[in-house]
Amino acid sequence: MSATALKAARRRGGRAALPVGIVLLVLLPLILMPLAAIFVFAFRGGAADFVKVLASPEAQFSLRFSLLIAFATAAINAVLGTFTAYVLSRYRFRGERPLGILVNLPVAIPTVVVGTSLLLLWGPIGLLGRLLEPLGIQPMFAPAGVLLAHLFVTFPYMLGAVKPVLDEIEGTYEEAAYTIGANRWQTFRWVILPALRGGLFSGVLLTFAHSLGEFGATVLVSGNLRLRTQTAPLYIFAQFEAGNVAAANAVAAVLATLSFFIFFFLLRYTVRRGR
Amino acid sequence: MSITLDNVTKRYADQVTVDRVSLEVETGELFVLLGASGSGKSTILRLIAGLVLPDEGVIRLAGRDVTHLAPQKRDVGFVFQNYSIFRHMTVARNIEFGLRIRGVAKAERRERREELLDLVGLGGLGNRYESQLSGGQQQRVALARALAYRPGVLLLDEPFGALDVKIRAQLRQSLKEIQKALGVTTILVTHDQEEAFELGHRIGVVDRGRLLEVDAPDRLYESPRSLYVATFLGAGTVLVGRCRDHRVALGPLTLPIPADVPHDEGDRVRVLIRPEQVALSASEPPRDAPTLGRGQIVEQTFSGAVRRTRVRLPSLTGVRQVSPPLPFGEENVLLDVAVSAHSEPPRENPWVVLEAWHVLRQPTPRLLVCDEGAGLAPALELARFLAEAIDGVVTVLGVAADARRQDALRDALAARAAEAGLPEATVRVRRGDPAEQIAAEQREAPYDFVIVGAGEMESRWGRRQAPRLLGEDLVGRIATPLILARGRPRKPERVLICTAVGEPGKADIRAGGWLARRLGAEATLLHAARPGRKPQPIVQSHLERGVATLRELEVPSRFAVREAESPIEAILAELQEHPHDIVVVGAPPPPPRGFLRGEHVTRQVLRQCGCSVLVVPQGSW
Amino acid sequence: MDSVRPRRRGLVPALFLAALLLYAAWPWLPFSREVATPPTIVFYGFSILADVCQEGIFPAFQKMWAAEGHGPVEFVSSFGGSGTVTNQVILGVPAQVVLLSLESDAERLADAGTIARDSWKRLPQGGVVNLTPFVILVRPGNPLGIRDFSDLTRPGVRIVHPDPMTSGGANWAIVAEYGSGARATPGGPAAGEAMLAGVWTNVVAQAPSARAARTQFENGFGDALITYEQEAVYDRGRGRLDADVAYPQRTILSEHTLVVVDRNIRPRERKLIERFVQYLWSDEAQRIFVKFGFRSATESLNAANPAFGRIFDPFRIADFGGWREARREIVDRIWKQRVMKQDAGR
Repeated sequence: MSATALKAARRRGGRAALPVGIVLLVLLPLILMPLAAIFVFAFRGGAADFVKVLASPEAQFSLRFSLLIAFATAAINAVLGTFTAYVLSRYRFRGERPLGILVNLPVAIPTVVVGTSLLLLWGPIGLLGRLLEPLGIQPMFAPAGVLLAHLFVTFPYMLGAVKPVLDEIEGTYEEAAYTIGANRWQTFRWVILPALRGGLFSGVLLTFAHSLGEFGATVLVSGNLRLRTQTAPLYIFAQFEAGNVAAANAVAAVLATLSFFIFFFLLRYTVRRGR
Repeated sequence: MSITLDNVTKRYADQVTVDRVSLEVETGELFVLLGASGSGKSTILRLIAGLVLPDEGVIRLAGRDVTHLAPQKRDVGFVFQNYSIFRHMTVARNIEFGLRIRGVAKAERRERREELLDLVGLGGLGNRYESQLSGGQQQRVALARALAYRPGVLLLDEPFGALDVKIRAQLRQSLKEIQKALGVTTILVTHDQEEAFELGHRIGVVDRGRLLEVDAPDRLYESPRSLYVATFLGAGTVLVGRCRDHRVALGPLTLPIPADVPHDEGDRVRVLIRPEQVALSASEPPRDAPTLGRGQIVEQTFSGAVRRTRVRLPSLTGVRQVSPPLPFGEENVLLDVAVSAHSEPPRENPWVVLEAWHVLRQPTPRLLVCDEGAGLAPALELARFLAEAIDGVVTVLGVAADARRQDALRDALAARAAEAGLPEATVRVRRGDPAEQIAAEQREAPYDFVIVGAGEMESRWGRRQAPRLLGEDLVGRIATPLILARGRPRKPERVLICTAVGEPGKADIRAGGWLARRLGAEATLLHAARPGRKPQPIVQSHLERGVATLRELEVPSRFAVREAESPIEAILAELQEHPHDIVVVGAPPPPPRGFLRGEHVTRQVLRQCGCSVLVVPQGSW
Repeated sequence: MDSVRPRRRGLVPALFLAALLLYAAWPWLPFSREVATPPTIVFYGFSILADVCQEGIFPAFQKMWAAEGHGPVEFVSSFGGSGTVTNQVILGVPAQVVLLSLESDAERLADAGTIARDSWKRLPQGGVVNLTPFVILVRPGNPLGIRDFSDLTRPGVRIVHPDPMTSGGANWAIVAEYGSGARATPGGPAAGEAMLAGVWTNVVAQAPSARAARTQFENGFGDALITYEQEAVYDRGRGRLDADVAYPQRTILSEHTLVVVDRNIRPRERKLIERFVQYLWSDEAQRIFVKFGFRSATESLNAANPAFGRIFDPFRIADFGGWREARREIVDRIWKQRVMKQDAGR
């Protein structure tokens, strides 16, 4: 960087004080203070209380359950989302456009609606659930139901992270690998997948974070059973409802911290990759 | 490893991209496929690599049939236009990729990689990523990567397309050396004739999916067989003169016709004159020099080594210019001449002397006849007259409703063609909707004229619509002149060219004039004017230029202006007074999809005229 | 440019995620402690039951069940608004025993075909497990001097009320408000309606459940909250009540109805469930309820909790012809059709 360019950059930094100040002023009551409130209320009873509340079997269960669901959701959607993105990006077929729009809809649909429709489909009196019940299969009000809901809700995030990267890879990229002698799997493994790594990584983290925080659909399909299907957000809500604000905030603080790290990694990774 | 293509065809959604291409490339040869963009040359390359599978034909590599073999197993190296270097791999890993896939040991890989980096002149850059390389370096990496596993065949798709001129020249040179050193059979695709000339041991020229000619660069330049190759490769003027006593007459000058160019007395023969084959001299040349008379300099452009000069020749009777196309209304030949920049700029009215020339072979006009039942007889009859007049070949197309009737239809058509005096006609049978199938056939193997009968066909949409003429359905679907044969079969003697239709068309005058000349018929140029309104000056001048064009074609012609409420009335009135055999009308260019709608004049003419009709789509001639 | 090896960049987040996964999966890993799966009772209850069940009833029953020589039993429970719970049960949550805050929710379950009609009436006390009167919670020191429902009709009083569409408690509150007017002298339906209208003029917030309304009130919203006495008594017992309780002269005793969802009970669980249902009416269980602030149907047990206030004229839903009648007349016709319409018109 030349000396003048450096100077210019610094000057830009100096002028930034005003816009940065305005942004902070706006964000303070909007985002930063509510976040801080979580931690303030979580620790109001002191650290010992915080640990005690967190150590309760229900809190532990809900955190572990949420994490497991988030891992499963991220893993399944990584495969499913990548495959869908690949098909949508590489093949031209009738109905491709409508499909491309449809798979993105879960973002826009209220999660409560997602929960309701899943219940109406897979619930014991639902369209498909009715057929499954005699077989003893009951996906709703069970971990499977929660997983289904989370897969549905987070699917677009995975797709949205992977597809643009795939779209950017020109078709001759794969063809080059084919002519060199790589079969389809080798081409995917050594040529496509490494190129997708960034998108896949951010997609997984986004999915994971969204799954951790999912509430609307989960509350409907899980049956909200303590120590069975209660995710961390449901636990928080239940505790809040019951007036145990400290317990609610303790788990909320853990979730917020986890999310912080996830987005921290996400940002660091994507920024480092940026050219 | 030799490469053989045998009648390879590739279609994309009814569009023929590669049309019956046969080609043989010998081991160690550097072969160049040259063509304009969209000509299908890249598809030929992709077919050889196996990235695209052919619909018909056979592809062999070293004699082995690989037509349906996966690209991985063909043992080819492919360099893409955009290089497609793997971005997340270093240059070294890119080059080693093919070896890793083949499970080559690490030490051997490294050795080979270094060897290749040296070969392409990238020594020491093995640790770089794609984004750290210049365009030329990327191209070298792509080449090294494609050569790493010692493929039997190297395919390069416009490898220098994205580079600037200087680097292009360098890389061309190094590619030439590498290819020579390795002796790998190579096909290179390009649109750049200079590149083709510099690199190719042989060049194949591709146009609209067809491999037109294959030959060594110098032979292709000096003695092309087809007009396309003559004009695509290098500059030049193509003139048509009449054959007299085994010589072609260009005004006062007659040039010998080589023995290997079949010709008849009175035939029109095309002569290619390259700019550097013409000398302009201020003084009168000796008597025995082939002189075209004193020209007039129209334009001069200095371009380094030569001075590009355009000379208008004096009027040469019986000579027509085919290429480059003359400005509309221009009656004299405009000859392109390259004058050495060292010599004096030519004077105003230099003598034009030919130092060399090349006589082109005649293309054979192709006629497609298609109809069913009653409509077929007049169509075949007319086709016979036309085929005789233009020395064309006839293909009879049948469209069967289902597969079972295909064979029966083929036999019946062959019998009827023979009956109509066309025993040598080719018979083809397709399946489906007639108009659609004719359009598809036309796309796959372009014809010069499509001839249909005037039989009515049942509407595809059931009884609610009036029955339509097959011709009506074709207008707007095919971009080829279409003849609707109708009435008593006889040799057409009078052609009515209606310029009344819409924009004064040029194509209809040219096509009608061409046909009239071939048939030895006379032509009437008709213009319909609104009653009481004087024709606009632009119409007047258009008609005059039209007559000039007809005169140029040596067609006896006159023009008529009729007052009528609508063009169709004018046409019908003219036909009433002076019977004609063929009415020529223009047609709007085919819309991207869909058909001619509404009561367009073209449609009225098709339906209401009692004689045959030639419909010339805009821009088809 | 990044000459950093690409692999390294994802290392820290990968380790982080791996650690999380290990933590999450720990209890289910084969080498962590074996989790036996004892028989379970899936219990759904309306919101205020959470503490009494988890801290009182469930442990006591588990102890008793073990003492009877049956081994461990586990409770799986979920608590929410009575209407919400009812909807969940209709949609098919695997609830086996459901304690609803009002009988009409049980009737809805019967209407949906989830349980047999009137099956709860064959249980002891007509299915009513416990009761609690509706009282008014006011700010400490009662700054507005609120003593009865009539005081809530005064202009300027801001009332937090649960939403009758989803909350059972809200339905009870409506009948309480109506009844306190109708049963006064001079009373009658007109006085009841006037009282209801007066109170609802001052409602400033509607929460989805009684519990949520309470949370809103605790967070400083409103001057008065109409709620279960149980909540006030229980919280005062734990020193967590930051409000005063006003006992109206006339108020309703809410009755909490137990239903057993037979279709979710497998035959081998039948005995356990029946024992548990029976246990709920035992003196031991009833004493636990009283201890947690619920009133028992057995009046003599109620003396055990000195915190219960005196009510001059406690009335029951039966006094209005049962829930079916009360719902049609008071909730649907008077409250929904007249009071809310008026409110909306204003």
